Amino acid sequence: MHADLSLARKLSAGDAEAFRSLVRAQHHRLILLATGFTQSRAIAEEVVQDAWVVVMENIDAYEGRSALSAWIAGIVVNKARARARKEQRMISFEAMADADGPAIAPEKFAADGHWADGMPAWEVVTPERLLGARQLLRKVAEALEGLPPAQRVAVLLRDVEGLEPAEICRQLDISEVNLRVLLHRARNRLREAADEDLRIK
Amino acid sequence: MLTCQSLSDDAAAYMDASLPAPRRLRIKAHLLFCPACRRYLQQLKIAMGLARHAATEPPPPEVEERLVSMFRQARRQDPPG
Ligand SMILES: [Zn+2]
Repeated sequence: MHADLSLARKLSAGDAEAFRSLVRAQHHRLILLATGFTQSRAIAEEVVQDAWVVVMENIDAYEGRSALSAWIAGIVVNKARARARKEQRMISFEAMADADGPAIAPEKFAADGHWADGMPAWEVVTPERLLGARQLLRKVAEALEGLPPAQRVAVLLRDVEGLEPAEICRQLDISEVNLRVLLHRARNRLREAADEDLRIK
Repeated sequence: MLTCQSLSDDAAAYMDASLPAPRRLRIKAHLLFCPACRRYLQQLKIAMGLARHAATEPPPPEVEERLVSMFRQARRQDPPG
């Protein structure tokens, strides 16, 4: 948090390279986030650009109460919701939490309710391992992009940008139960995407 | 006794520490004797971390340059202090 406040001060002072590093780190995820609302990549790109303009002009309003990435993601959500409503593309996140089948296929469990395969162990994921793990990261990225929009938005806001659950529920207009269902489905899907590469054979 | 299947249903709430105490304790008790579920929860956490790495892809150079030059203009017109 402290590091984020000093980054915000650099932005305030007009440090363009600090802004560039922020754009490099976050722009792509913000596009994925906005697309969950707008259902259109082109509109999402406009939304995220508008949000960056808000960041440039209002960085002094950031008080460090949440991570800077979470603050920026919140601006994108506001812009994306407003735009989706205007274009009548707004989807109901609550309805999407109720849809779909179980998060984990029933055949993954034995008749007694225990894991059918005993949940094979994964190799240890060190930062060094990640450097050479392009295939693994590509699979996880594809899984993330392939999630239904509400699940993608939930996991991006909670697990990637680090917003608090109550704040996410307020922004998406869903209950905490709905949010948990969305996160549960999304996280299981991501775990399954990494399983093949990481499981010790 | 809690099954692995019902533990998995509560996994998201458990990880976000938003589970009522009695259910939380039942999960902890299950984890004590179930290495499979301990691996399951740990793998979910690893997958969440991987999502953070996987979602980081630099923007196209022209997009980056456009945003940076917009930033330079915005902060020039509006000097700090
Ligand atoms: Zn178990």
